[in-house]
Amino acid sequence: MAKHHKEELEVKQKYTFGTFITQILMTIAAAIVFAPVLIVFNYSFKTKKELYLSNPLSLPKSLYFGNYITAYKKLNLLTTFGNTLLYTAVSVIILALLCGSAAWAIARCKRKIIKFIYVYFLLGILIPYQALFLPIYVIGYKTGLTNTRIGLILMYIATGMSFGVFLMTSFMSTVPVELEEAAMIDGCSIYRTYFSIVMPLLKPAIATLVIMQSFQIWNDFLMANLYLSNKNLKTLTVAMQALFSQQTSDYTTALAAIVISVLPVAILFMSLQKYFVKGMTVGALKG
Amino acid sequence: MVLFPIMLKGVSMMHNNSLKRSIFLQYLSLILPGLMIFTFGLVIPLILGFKYSFTSWNGMTASKPFVGLQNYINLFKDKYVLDAWKFTIKFTLINTVVQNFFALLLAIALDGAIKAKKIYRTIFFLPALISSVIAGFIWLRMYSNILPAINKLLGTSINFLLFGNEKTVLSGLLIANNWQWIGYWMLIYLAALQSIPAELYEAAKIDGASVFDKFLHVTIPMLAPAFTICIVGITTGSLKVYELMVSSTGGGPGRASTSIIYLIYNTAINGRQYGYGCAMSVTLVAVLLLVAVIQLKFLRDKEVQM
Repeated sequence: MAKHHKEELEVKQKYTFGTFITQILMTIAAAIVFAPVLIVFNYSFKTKKELYLSNPLSLPKSLYFGNYITAYKKLNLLTTFGNTLLYTAVSVIILALLCGSAAWAIARCKRKIIKFIYVYFLLGILIPYQALFLPIYVIGYKTGLTNTRIGLILMYIATGMSFGVFLMTSFMSTVPVELEEAAMIDGCSIYRTYFSIVMPLLKPAIATLVIMQSFQIWNDFLMANLYLSNKNLKTLTVAMQALFSQQTSDYTTALAAIVISVLPVAILFMSLQKYFVKGMTVGALKG
Repeated sequence: MVLFPIMLKGVSMMHNNSLKRSIFLQYLSLILPGLMIFTFGLVIPLILGFKYSFTSWNGMTASKPFVGLQNYINLFKDKYVLDAWKFTIKFTLINTVVQNFFALLLAIALDGAIKAKKIYRTIFFLPALISSVIAGFIWLRMYSNILPAINKLLGTSINFLLFGNEKTVLSGLLIANNWQWIGYWMLIYLAALQSIPAELYEAAKIDGASVFDKFLHVTIPMLAPAFTICIVGITTGSLKVYELMVSSTGGGPGRASTSIIYLIYNTAINGRQYGYGCAMSVTLVAVLLLVAVIQLKFLRDKEVQM
C-alpha cells in the first residue's frame, strides 16, 4: 500500500527550478563517472601510431580491430573464458542448492542445535575470505586441491555459504507453511517436500543469490590466482592481470581486453537489471 | 513440529519420538553438506591460521617450530606492519565517510523529480560490475597517460601522476575505489528511500514541517537500517583492500600503498614467512570482527531508538 501511495505521489512531484539544477549536476556527475568507460572503449580501437600522435579525445580514424585480435590471443580467451564460466556456473548452482535446503531446514526445525548451526554459519559473514587467504591456501595445498578445478569451486562454495544461508533464511518467512504441512500429511518425505513444493517458491531468492554470487566469483582474483597456476585452468581475471603487467607502453591491447571481458557481464546486467537491483537491495536491507 | 495433530492421533509416545527423531535427521541431512564444506573451507583455515601464528613455519618444511607469542610481539615492532595498518586505516576511514556521503547524495537526487533516472542509475552502477583488478588498471592508465594527454591538449599543467608519489597515492586509490563503489551503495540508499511510506511525509507536512525538518525527522530515521548496512559494508570492504593495488600501484611507490592484505601476501607467499603472515591474518580477523560488532551494536541501538 505504502509503495503504491509513494508512486502516486511521485507522479505529482513537480519539476521545479531546483529539480532542473539537480538534473544538471547529476548529468555532470554521470559524465565524470562515465568518462573512463568511454575512454577505454575509444582507446581500444586506436592503433599504436594514433596512441602517441592523436589527442586522447579524438576518435580513431578507422575501426581498427588489431588490438582485439592480439588481446584474444594473449588472453587465451576461449580457454580462460570457458574456465571462468565453468567455475562460476558450477559454484553458483551448488551454492543455490546447498543454501536453499540448509536455510529451509534451519527455518523449519525448531531444535536448539539447528539454531546453533545457523549462528555458526553467520559468523562467516563478518570474516571476508581475503583475511584468511593464507590458511585457505595451505589447506588446499595439503589436501591436493590446489591446481584443480574442483578445489577452486569448493572454496568458492565454502566462502559463499554464510551469505547464501543468511539470504535464504531471511526469505523463508515468506514461504507459506500450510502447503508444506499438507504435503507432509499426504506422506511426502522431507526431501520431496523441499524439492517439489518449497524450492519452486524460492525462485526469487535463488535468482538474487545466483546473480550476486556470479558477479563476485566472475570477478574474483585473489582465490583464483592462489589456487591455480596451471595455464589451462586459469580464469579471465588472472589472465587479464598477467596481460596488464606486460603492457606498459602499448596498453591499447590491455584496454581491448577490458572491453572483451566486461562486455558479457555488462550485457547480462542490462538484461537482468530489474532482478539485480531488486535482489541486491532486498538482500542487503533484510539484514 | 508441523504435521502431527492428525497423523499422530492414537500413536504411542515411543513411536512419536522415533518419528520426530527421523524427521530431525532428515532436516539435519539437508544442512550437513553445506555445513561440511563451510567448515572445511573457512572454519578449519581459521583454526589453522591461529595455530600457525604461534610458529616460525616457512611454508615448506614439515617442521613448524613453536615460538609462542613471538610473532605477535614482532608485529608491534615491525615498521612494515605499522605502515600497512596506517595506510589501511586511513583508506578505510576516508572511504567510509566519502562513499556514504556521495552514495546518499546521489540516491536523494535520484529519488526526486528529475528525468531519465534509469540512465543515471545504470551509469553510476556500471563500474561496480568490473573486477577491482581492472578498475585499478583503468585508473593507472588514466593518471599516467590519458589525463596528462588531456593536459597537453588544453595547455594546462595539472599534476595527474597520483600513483607516482608517496603523498598522493592514497588519494589516487581513493578516487578509483569511490568511482567503482559509490553507485553500488547508492542503490541501497535509493531502495531504502523508496520504501519510506508517503504517509509519513504527508503527516509531517500537515504538522507544518519544513523540507529540512522532514529530512531530519522522517528521512534520516527511516534510513537507519540502510546506514547500518552501508557503513558496515564499506568498512569491511575497505579493510580487505588488495585487488585494487595489484594492477595499479603494486603496493608502491616504495611501500606507500601496501595494505595489510598486500603485506600478508608479500610476507608469506613471496617472503616465505608463513607463521608471521598468519599472525597478521589473525590480527586482521580480530580487527574485522571487533569493528563490525562495535558498529553493529552502535548502529542497531540507534535503529531501535528511532
